[in-house]
Amino acid sequence: MPAIVVVLVVAVLFYLGYRYYSSYLAKKVYAVDAAFVTPAHSMRDGVDFVPTNKHVLFGHHFTSVAGAAPIVGPAIAVFWGWGPALAWVVLGTIFAAGVHDFGSLVVSVRHRAKSIGTLARDVINKRARTLFLLIIFFLLTLVNAVFAVVIGNLFIATPEAVLPILLEIPLAIGIGQYIYRTRSAALVPSIVGVILLYASILLGQELPISLAGIAAEDGLFTERNLWVIFLFAYTFIASRIPVWVLLQPRDYINSHQLFIALGVIGLGVAIGWDRIVAPAFNDTPEGSPNWFPFLFITIACGAISGFHSLVSSGTTSKQLDKETDARYVGYVGAVGEGSLALGSILACTAGIVATTADWEAAYRDFSTASGDATSNFVNGVAHFASNLGIANSIAVIFAAVVVISFAATTMDTGVRLQRYIVQEIADIAGARVVSRNVTLATTIAVVVPLVMALLPGGGDAGYTFGVLWQLFGTTNQLTAGLALAVIAVWVTKKRRNPVAVLVPLVFLLAMTSWALIENLRNFVDEGQWVLAPLDAIIFVLAVWLIVEAALAMRRAWAGRAEVGEPEREPER
Amino acid sequence: MTLWRGLVSAWKRVEAGHDAVFVARWRQGVRREARRQQDTLRALVLLESLGVDNPVAYETLDLIPYLVADVHEWHQRMGRETFGDAGVCC
Repeated sequence: MPAIVVVLVVAVLFYLGYRYYSSYLAKKVYAVDAAFVTPAHSMRDGVDFVPTNKHVLFGHHFTSVAGAAPIVGPAIAVFWGWGPALAWVVLGTIFAAGVHDFGSLVVSVRHRAKSIGTLARDVINKRARTLFLLIIFFLLTLVNAVFAVVIGNLFIATPEAVLPILLEIPLAIGIGQYIYRTRSAALVPSIVGVILLYASILLGQELPISLAGIAAEDGLFTERNLWVIFLFAYTFIASRIPVWVLLQPRDYINSHQLFIALGVIGLGVAIGWDRIVAPAFNDTPEGSPNWFPFLFITIACGAISGFHSLVSSGTTSKQLDKETDARYVGYVGAVGEGSLALGSILACTAGIVATTADWEAAYRDFSTASGDATSNFVNGVAHFASNLGIANSIAVIFAAVVVISFAATTMDTGVRLQRYIVQEIADIAGARVVSRNVTLATTIAVVVPLVMALLPGGGDAGYTFGVLWQLFGTTNQLTAGLALAVIAVWVTKKRRNPVAVLVPLVFLLAMTSWALIENLRNFVDEGQWVLAPLDAIIFVLAVWLIVEAALAMRRAWAGRAEVGEPEREPER
Repeated sequence: MTLWRGLVSAWKRVEAGHDAVFVARWRQGVRREARRQQDTLRALVLLESLGVDNPVAYETLDLIPYLVADVHEWHQRMGRETFGDAGVCC
């Protein structure tokens, strides 16, 4: 089937989802009101609370939520065939991610723009906040571990991309300094930055950088592990310097790369008229994880992602001009993430090879599919770029640079956030030596994921990466579950029908728990004594979340039966 | 000349739109941090009005005129409806 047909069908489904389902949510479930005075107006302070045009706010929201995660998950999940991956991305985006992103924005706006962690405490109970912090701790640990491995693998597969990525650091610092010192608009420096970055690809092609010469064949100091150690050393430093020095100007470059990459995939698919060569359902070899339930934790971002609730409730809700704008910003933000996942599916099923036999060789087992997932995406995007007339050797480096830039920024931000979470958990636990020492908190934020990333995994790095990715998916789904529980309780208290929220909530928690139990059994059988306890801890958090959500729903339902009138809205 | 002015004006609008989408959220972060530092300094200088002994009150006296201008907005942001000392603001 031509990939462009899939793009058009999915575009129509996303449109229908936005046009009709989000309209139903807006009217019947969330009851958004254009006359409601949002916190951006009632608490306006010119810093956090600023009424913002909905298109501009969508730009803020989308560039904050989009990253490398919706690329890697689908690139692994097509191992089960493009059918299940595509169905989950489309149905997940329309019926789960849209409900979650839109809902967390509305609930936050109705509670003075509080963040989802604080809302969990206010709407569910005090324990829910501790649960939230623990889930986020594991989420960030696994994010940082998997993205270090993603970058390490890409540096090995595409050594020509190393130099452009290294040059991006002084380039971003230079742009930041220029904008800061001249107080000029960011448009021209950002475009110049993107052009110089892509020009450096030619230099990278001439000067590929590899650590193979100093790396060991096996053991701790393999080439991949050396890159991982180097990356964590870099993030330790990068997360300690002010955001405006590096993170901010590099985000200017990356935000443009996001739209360039989406444009290249879209145009490449339309012009190249490539066919999907992967089977709709792949006959996976004996011993592979089953698509049901593992698909639903392999693709987290791109179908539904708890991380979006942190952005929706953390910053976006403070800037919403009208409550009705939440539908556009929240729901279309989810659709944008789903579109990135669609691009990844197409790159890995229509872009990488010309025949089904070649595709089956590239995805011959779960270890290969996981270990090579990002390289497959890079090669697929490179093929789409070559449809536009770009030489394939250059296009591969371009695609690798895009993915590594996203992943590096995610790591940078992830370690920075993890530092705050470590300090907050230490504060709750009364460990002042950690909560008051930024260097110690940063060290913990770096060392824990570093150990995860260096896991030997019985000598099979691909398998270990696939499993770590799935564990990351479980924590992301638990975050989404917590946000959906908060939304469901709020909707129930308002005496509206919570089924649209409860269905994705129950489905997510059931699939995540099932996958965690299956994984735990496998880890114990294989004697993986680092992954098994990690999986067990996340499973305990999942059970805790299920109990808290059930109790909170029961209370909300009982309260609804007792109280005749719906709860009064605050901030009206 | 009119065409040139039109082009310049259109370019300025494009730059402003680009800044609104890509730069504003970072600028807010920097302002937030600046405000946090300013709040900390203000809290230290106004310790006595909060009922806490300030051992360097004499040395920081000169700073008070610079910090009282927006003290009303500050104490409301800190969750206190009225300021402790009479005659300062509300």
